[in-house]
Amino acid sequence: MNETNNETSTGSNRDLSNAADMIVCENVSKWYGDFQALDEVSATIKEQEVVVVLGPSGSGKSTWIRCINRLEQHQEGRIEVDGIELTNDLRNIEKVRSEVGMVFQQFNLFPHLKVIDNVTLAPIWVRKKPKVEAQEQAIALLERVGIPEQADKYPGQLSGGQQQRVAIARALAMEPRIMLFDEPTSALDPEMIKEVLDVMKELALSGMTMMVVTHEVGFAKEVADRIIFMDEGQIVEIGTPETFFTDPVEERSKLFLSQIL
Amino acid sequence: MSDFNVTGAEGTVSIKPPPETPKLPPRLWIKENLFSSPFNIFLTVASTGILLILGRGLLSFIFSHERQWGSTATNLRLLMTQAYPEEQYMRVWVCVGVIFTLTGLSMAVWNAGSRVALRRLGSFLLSTGVVIDILTLLAPFSSSATIIWLCVGTGISLFGGSLVKFSDEDKTMSVLTVTVIALAVAILSLWVVPYGHHSFVFERTPRSLAEAGTVALTTKLPWTIMLLIGIAAYFAGKAIREKVSQNVLRVSVLTIWFLAPPALLYLVLRDPDFDMGHVLNTDIPIFLVFAAVGAGLLFWLTRPTAGELGKVIAAITLLIGFGSFLTPMRMIIRILILLLAIFAISAPTFAGDTQTRRRYSLGWIGVSGVTCWLVTAINTPSTVEVPGSFFIGGVSLTLLIAIFTIVISFPLGILLALGRTSTMPIFRILCTWFIEFVRGIPLITILIFFSIMFPMFLPKEMEIGEVASIVIGYSLFSSAYLAENVRGGLQSVTRGQHEAADAVGMTTPQKTLFIVLPQALRVSIPPLVSHCIGVFKETSLLAIIGLFDILYIARNVIPNQTEFLGSVRENLLFVCLIYWILSYQMSKASQRLERRVGLGER
Repeated sequence: MNETNNETSTGSNRDLSNAADMIVCENVSKWYGDFQALDEVSATIKEQEVVVVLGPSGSGKSTWIRCINRLEQHQEGRIEVDGIELTNDLRNIEKVRSEVGMVFQQFNLFPHLKVIDNVTLAPIWVRKKPKVEAQEQAIALLERVGIPEQADKYPGQLSGGQQQRVAIARALAMEPRIMLFDEPTSALDPEMIKEVLDVMKELALSGMTMMVVTHEVGFAKEVADRIIFMDEGQIVEIGTPETFFTDPVEERSKLFLSQIL
Repeated sequence: MSDFNVTGAEGTVSIKPPPETPKLPPRLWIKENLFSSPFNIFLTVASTGILLILGRGLLSFIFSHERQWGSTATNLRLLMTQAYPEEQYMRVWVCVGVIFTLTGLSMAVWNAGSRVALRRLGSFLLSTGVVIDILTLLAPFSSSATIIWLCVGTGISLFGGSLVKFSDEDKTMSVLTVTVIALAVAILSLWVVPYGHHSFVFERTPRSLAEAGTVALTTKLPWTIMLLIGIAAYFAGKAIREKVSQNVLRVSVLTIWFLAPPALLYLVLRDPDFDMGHVLNTDIPIFLVFAAVGAGLLFWLTRPTAGELGKVIAAITLLIGFGSFLTPMRMIIRILILLLAIFAISAPTFAGDTQTRRRYSLGWIGVSGVTCWLVTAINTPSTVEVPGSFFIGGVSLTLLIAIFTIVISFPLGILLALGRTSTMPIFRILCTWFIEFVRGIPLITILIFFSIMFPMFLPKEMEIGEVASIVIGYSLFSSAYLAENVRGGLQSVTRGQHEAADAVGMTTPQKTLFIVLPQALRVSIPPLVSHCIGVFKETSLLAIIGLFDILYIARNVIPNQTEFLGSVRENLLFVCLIYWILSYQMSKASQRLERRVGLGER
């Protein structure tokens, strides 16, 4: 898609204006009881784009990302993923979910299954892949995230960073076109964060469309095409990393940056 | 920084082993744990005194001259199998043999049995011997008997003591070997000690009372063979394990375990009188047609691209199944259509490549085959004729009803639990009401209802035995409680697990089957096992509705024999012992299971 891409193709230098729309959100709103978690959120994410969503806790960024594969239901507005609109139709939801990989803050690996079975389960039963093929693919993915030797262990025997990498491999095994990351490093010890971020960088370089909720400013600066800053359920500011981190427009963004930088 | 690394590399930082907890010598241990403070001393002395008084009471009860232990020994066969004919007794032994074989095989296949340190074994024997000595001194024995038992106790203690003293610190022995040795000693004693005498005694006049020692005489050979069969099966299992893949072996052994109870009951114990003409002309053709058509249909339905048409066909099959109850036809055909409908509905969940589809179709052939065979066997009259409503009683009946109830109520309970937690309102309300309704009724009411009134509710041409209808009622009762235990497990599966399964696009049945249930059942093992123990023990209520279970025989049958009038207490104590032994085995098995499945969690 981007012929001009080279090694450092990610980041805000890329020209994605010709790319297709992958995720389209229009005036998405959601309430928890009386509390409005999302307030008319509108954004479009292009193919191969890496978007980092920043914001203070409780700003609705996790809710938003979870609406995109319908783990939460939005109540107003519309969300379209790869041309499929998310409605209550179960078949649409399943189709979207098999196109969208998700990585959670708490890993959520299946503790009763070995690492390799964690990765192959969905390809075998959802994608109907032959078992042998699924296993070969799983080994290849575990190599890609750097832990092929842990294939026969149970998740509980791995460190947090390793578990999160298995979770990424599990999501990739479905060959998704979009990856959603919901605070993937927030539950990790500091020395394990890097190994997970490295895997995510490699993934971004390979041209995956990614939407990342994180507090890792370094990662955002280095990898993101765009930063979306949210507060109180609204999108406050959208910008490239350079402009957002050095010269934010909104007062609220400045306040947030002054607290975390 | 670099200096620090260098010293580390040179080995100045050595790994320090944790300090050993000092092992106290016995005298100090006793002082520290039993006599550490005045209050502790008082507690120790008081509880020892109470224990001694209780022990003395129990022993003087057991060894009193008024006790007619002959009533238990003579009626052992009655207590085990009620009036099962003596000339057919070979069948009972075949069943025991099958169970021993399966146990041996499973031990080998699951690599069962931890190892125990010889020293621990020694100290266990030492204390056992001491306890025997103390009990002997307490018991109202004649002087010669006292001397014999003191010798036995001291002998065991000395053996244990020498094990503690002379074996190496880390020398261990397989628990299996220990068990086999213990069993072998018990069985060997049959050859040496002339235990009791027995005979088949029914009604008030005993027909014959055999000579002393016949319990040992008639059972020593079979028990020896059983032990040898068990050992042989263990080594056979070990040999097979080397050659066949683990999963295949485990699944087939488990299948045999599940098929064993009905097979033993209907084919071995009941000795059915098959009408070969009917079997060949009707039963086998019905099975063949259903197996072939069903397998073809399911193979087609499990295509990944089956889509809506598959669901429509599954729904039509289900409708035909229910509709078949309105028209006269064989019960077996109705059951098979309903089963096929269930398989067809769950087909999309198991769709996959050719191998998966073939396995699913083979699964259908297996299930339909077993169902056909069971229905045929149930419909065949038994040739074993005994007085009373059912052909077997005593411990066998207790075990039979417990096993069938547990096996039937497990899937039922899981379905109820899933229904109660489901998001579909109809299922949820129905299941909740069923559970709450059944839990609000005492078990004995349900048993009486099902033994007396249930047969009246059936259609005219359908007949059902008393035991069968009781098993149905008991299973419904048990499944309601089981469902609540499983529901606890279902709720312990975190929301994150559901979300992770959703996020990779699994359908609800797949999520339930592969993610939620395995974790939920693992958590519910302790309550489920205590439920199973409860089901087993509460079969004693059957005595109230007049089934010849072990309690009824011990309380109402034996004390009425002219020889042993009023010998209730001896037999009740014996019944307690049997219930306790079996329940304790179940609880031990559950502890092993917990340890085993706990592996993946850490």
